[in-house]
Order: sequence, then structure tokens, then C-alpha cells
Amino acid sequence: MKLRRTRLYVPGNNPHLVENVGLYNADAVILDLEDSVPIPQKFDARILVKYSLQHVDFGRSEKWVRINGITTSYWKDDLREVLPYCQVINLPKVESYEDMEMVDAEMKAIEEELKISPREVVPIIETVRGLMNAREIAKHPRVTALAWGGEDLTADLGIPRKKALILEYVRAEIVFAAKANGKQALDTVYSNIRDEEGLFEYAQRARYMGFDGIGVIHPNQIEIVHKAFRPTEDEIEDAKKIIEAAELAEKEGKGVISLNGRMIDPPVVERARKILQFAEVE
Amino acid sequence: MIEAGTQEKGDALVIIEESDKREVLVESKIMAIYGEAIRKTVEEVTAGLVAKITVKDYGALDWVIRARLEAAIRKFKEGVKE
Repeated sequence: MKLRRTRLYVPGNNPHLVENVGLYNADAVILDLEDSVPIPQKFDARILVKYSLQHVDFGRSEKWVRINGITTSYWKDDLREVLPYCQVINLPKVESYEDMEMVDAEMKAIEEELKISPREVVPIIETVRGLMNAREIAKHPRVTALAWGGEDLTADLGIPRKKALILEYVRAEIVFAAKANGKQALDTVYSNIRDEEGLFEYAQRARYMGFDGIGVIHPNQIEIVHKAFRPTEDEIEDAKKIIEAAELAEKEGKGVISLNGRMIDPPVVERARKILQFAEVE
Repeated sequence: MIEAGTQEKGDALVIIEESDKREVLVESKIMAIYGEAIRKTVEEVTAGLVAKITVKDYGALDWVIRARLEAAIRKFKEGVKE
């Protein structure tokens, strides 16, 4: 599974901000066509994003595009223009499996016409209805991760974001829905770009909640989040021992993995692999 | 008349106006260094288009100018309205 600790949102219609995205070392860069682009600029932004994806060096970052939602008149044009040049479509306000089916059909038509490989979708759950259907949405084969957005969701619930008590439940639900289907769970952004300590705590909390990453809105946030997602030395050492034991058991043709007389179950081996991946240990 | 792009740093603003003859105008603060290169790109991308084409450059890279030109030409030809 790809590391997706950080996904950096960049407004799609601002070439100056897009130019250097490859230097920031984010796991993914999202060129945004949705909320950061005013309606009169939607057409120009779509074309600019198409060119950005082809001409800007993204370094090691995955290329994502957040297109406009399926209730707008823009999303099909967005897909047609950018799909061949990006790896992941970030789809806002997904509310049901049927929504995913509709987008999947549109993507499939473009992929078949242009003979390109299937692209991934990371839906954003940001309505109450979407949250209620998150477990179904996560089942869609096109979906590789679930993300969520707090601003629209709290608006949908009619409560102020900063005082919302329900968000921990929402987070848990996103993690369960994603993990039950073997997908990644991605937490939302930490919007105070000056509060480094707060960001570190937020990201570490996301990690221990079961998330695979959070969204970032400023390049300065990236390194802090990567640090927060880095497992501790003890966790890394334990994980190495577990992987060694698993490899030894496989070599010796043993069905049961044991370490210091303790039996190791497959999910524990899987967790150890993930810890080493987060630690960026080969 | 249609426009594409913005006047922000690193961007370009392309304006296309109906006209009986083809006319290409390039404005840039760094005209002496990049003026020729910008003009070459504009001529190449808009070849055959009979209109008044103005490109105001604010330090845009070549791919940015190409993107703004494509947006402007398509809006001009297709009559795109947002």
C-alpha cells in the first residue's frame, strides 16, 4: 500500500503555487478544482491543471486532482480533461455507492477510449448521508481510501465546527468503514498553519485513531506530519523482530510463526509491515 | 472579447478579441529577456486564428502561457460561458 501520510492541497488555478510542488516531499499533491477555484475560473483552472500534471515535476508525490462534485455541471468536463494525466481522483461529497457507480462509469468510458489504466478514487465523506453509507462506499473497487471533510459535515448537522462533539464518532466511523474493506483511512486537515505543536499532536492522534494520513494546506506542515506518523524506535524494533520471525517460519515451511515462545497471528505481521513502511525501513 | 488567466505572479492573461485581421501583442516586464520566446509560443499555439490576441505576461513559464492560450482559444471558438 502507498504511503499517504500527507496529501497537500494546492489551488488548481494558481501556477505560482503549483510550480514547486515536487520540492515539498508530500506523499500526494492534490490539485484542486473544487472549493479553491471561483466559478468564473472553473474552465481556465481545468486546462491549467491538465498542463500542470504534464509539465510540473511532482518529485515523489502522487498526482491527485480534486474535481467538482457530482451535483455540479463541471465534474464530467473535469474528468475528461485531467483523468489521463493523474493517478487519483479525489471526489467530494460522495453520498452513496450509486454515486461511485456513476463516476466509475464515466471514468471507465474515458479510460477505454484513451486506452489508459484504471485510475483510483478517494471519495470525501462530508454529509450525514455520506457518513451513513460510508461502509458501502468503501466497498467500491475503484475506492482505495476514504477521506472526510468536517466543514460541510458540521454544516449539514447544523452545529459549529469548533464546538462539534460528534467528530470523534465520525472519525471512528470513517476508520471502520475503510478498514473493514482493506482500504486506507485519511483524516482531514489541521487548519492552523502556525501551530506546529498542535499539528504534531493532531497528526499523532490521527495515527493512533487508525488513520493512514491527514490533509495538509501548507508545505511547512509536511515534515511535522511525517514525524508524527513515524513509529517509535521500540515499535520499529518489535516490528523488525516479527518480520524476521515470519520470514524464518516461511523459510522453514512452518505454518505457525513464533517469537520468544509467543504465537504471532497474521494481523500482527501485517501491522509490523505497516509500521516498517511508516518508518520507511526497507 | 474573452479572457483566460489572471494577473497574479507567475501567470499570464490572454485576451482574444474579434477582428478582421490577425494581430498579436505581447506585454511583459521582462520583454527584453523573454519577449521573443513568448511571442514564438503565442504564434505557434494560435497559428491560423484571425483575431486580436493580447498576452500580458506576469512571469509565467512556457507551459502556463500554453495553458492560458488553449483556454482562451477554446472559449473563443466554443463560446464557453461559466
